[in-house]
Amino acid sequence: MFLDLFFLAFVGAFVFAGIKRPFLLVLAYTYIDIVAPQKISYGFLGAIPISLVTFTLAFGAWFVIDQKRGARFSFRQGLLLLLLVYCGLTTLAADFPVEAADKWSWVWKALLFAMFLPLTLRTRLRFEALALVMVLSIGVIVIGGGIKTLAGGGGYQTLKLLVNDNNGLYEGSIISCVGMAVIPLTIWLVQHGTIFPKSRLVTLFAAGLCFACLLMPIGTQARTGLICAAVLAVLSLRTVKNRALYLGALGAASLIALPLLPSSFTQRMSTIENHSSDQSASTRIAVWGWTLEYAKQHPFGGGFEVYRQNELVYNTVAESRAGDNNIALESERIVEKGRAFHSSYFEMLGEQGYPGLVIWLLLHGLGVWQMEILRRRYARRKEEALAWIAPLANALQQAQIVYLVGSLFVGIAYQPFCYMLVGLQCGLWSYVRRIQRLPVARPPVPAAAAQRRPLPAA
Amino acid sequence: MVDKLTILIPHILMGIALWRLLARDDLDRDPLADPPAPPAFRRKQQSERTKNVS
Repeated sequence: MFLDLFFLAFVGAFVFAGIKRPFLLVLAYTYIDIVAPQKISYGFLGAIPISLVTFTLAFGAWFVIDQKRGARFSFRQGLLLLLLVYCGLTTLAADFPVEAADKWSWVWKALLFAMFLPLTLRTRLRFEALALVMVLSIGVIVIGGGIKTLAGGGGYQTLKLLVNDNNGLYEGSIISCVGMAVIPLTIWLVQHGTIFPKSRLVTLFAAGLCFACLLMPIGTQARTGLICAAVLAVLSLRTVKNRALYLGALGAASLIALPLLPSSFTQRMSTIENHSSDQSASTRIAVWGWTLEYAKQHPFGGGFEVYRQNELVYNTVAESRAGDNNIALESERIVEKGRAFHSSYFEMLGEQGYPGLVIWLLLHGLGVWQMEILRRRYARRKEEALAWIAPLANALQQAQIVYLVGSLFVGIAYQPFCYMLVGLQCGLWSYVRRIQRLPVARPPVPAAAAQRRPLPAA
Repeated sequence: MVDKLTILIPHILMGIALWRLLARDDLDRDPLADPPAPPAFRRKQQSERTKNVS
């Protein structure tokens, strides 16, 4: 009851503030979509559709009150619209109409919000505010998870993250992947934040938050998280000032951390290389094979939740040592039904077919490319008004690559948080296209004369 | 206890952020993309306003 009142007061404060500043309603929806306070409270809040109400208020306030000068609908927003329409069509003809409609009920909101978000991101402070709310909202989940992991409360499918739901961002593999994607944004906020300007306290909190994110793969024992952490470590090599020092620190941290890791974690991580003994990894391979066969017969997809019809038969091979020179191999035949895709790529292929997969890949591929252009173009700009652009583009690119790698092993093709990242990217691209006409945003002559071409329309 | 802490800290920070954002003009007007109108234009606007009042 107390939690219900607390969350209701918090959301109420956001909405009340939104009367004065409509953009705050966008932040309120972002917070609700990530934290899902209605899930945490268990009380009367669960009966109120706060997500839908806030979304409607945010859109309505933008439409009626907020300025729309400079707002543009980019090519990637068009791709989001295309994906939304296509998903709607496959839902109408889905193999499992009831279950598909259930998934559609939140997917359309995630896609529509990602399409709407760039229209509201008109100022530098709005980018910062949105990134801050996204990071702090993830903090609501990972801070407790990190503390519980340090206290020894972690374990595969046993780490309790506020909600006993094992769904969405409260699922181990998903929060491990998203936690890694949040780290670059947190670092950007420390370096370029104005709401909480750089100070010792801010740096300390951000370091703690990043550490909590890094603890997520250990606490949840999600292999995806470890792979995402490795990808992020490699990507960071592009931007760190002193690579030798960075690599040395990384090596030293790994050496210190390895003996402290729980044995259950190291055992589970070893199955990344040897998946044949692990049922979870073997299921993935079997589901992916089934999806490829399904897509051959249904190239336009079978709609949401199509995996429910699969029946998988595979063998796991386990080794057991009997003496120094004897290894006994035990093969076990496993039959499973209705196993999820465990990969966003196969999720898109199975549910939306080849057209859906192509749209999704184009949407994300273009994001990586656009952020690379912004990163390069503004890398040397030191003026206060422009110095934040390249680091934000870099952070968003890193977050997206981490997401795309994590997506190989987790079905998060429609994860709303990841579409918020897409929305931020589209907003940044449009913002730069808007300011590039201004003399201050043009590259200085003659060093960057070759880069004077305007950004492409995509 | 841990759950209360994990809920409380980020919410307090978001509350402070919300409070600070309310006082920031650059939330709605970007200093770079929406620069204030040039003085000549502002003078013209002002004189038009004075005309309307009179």
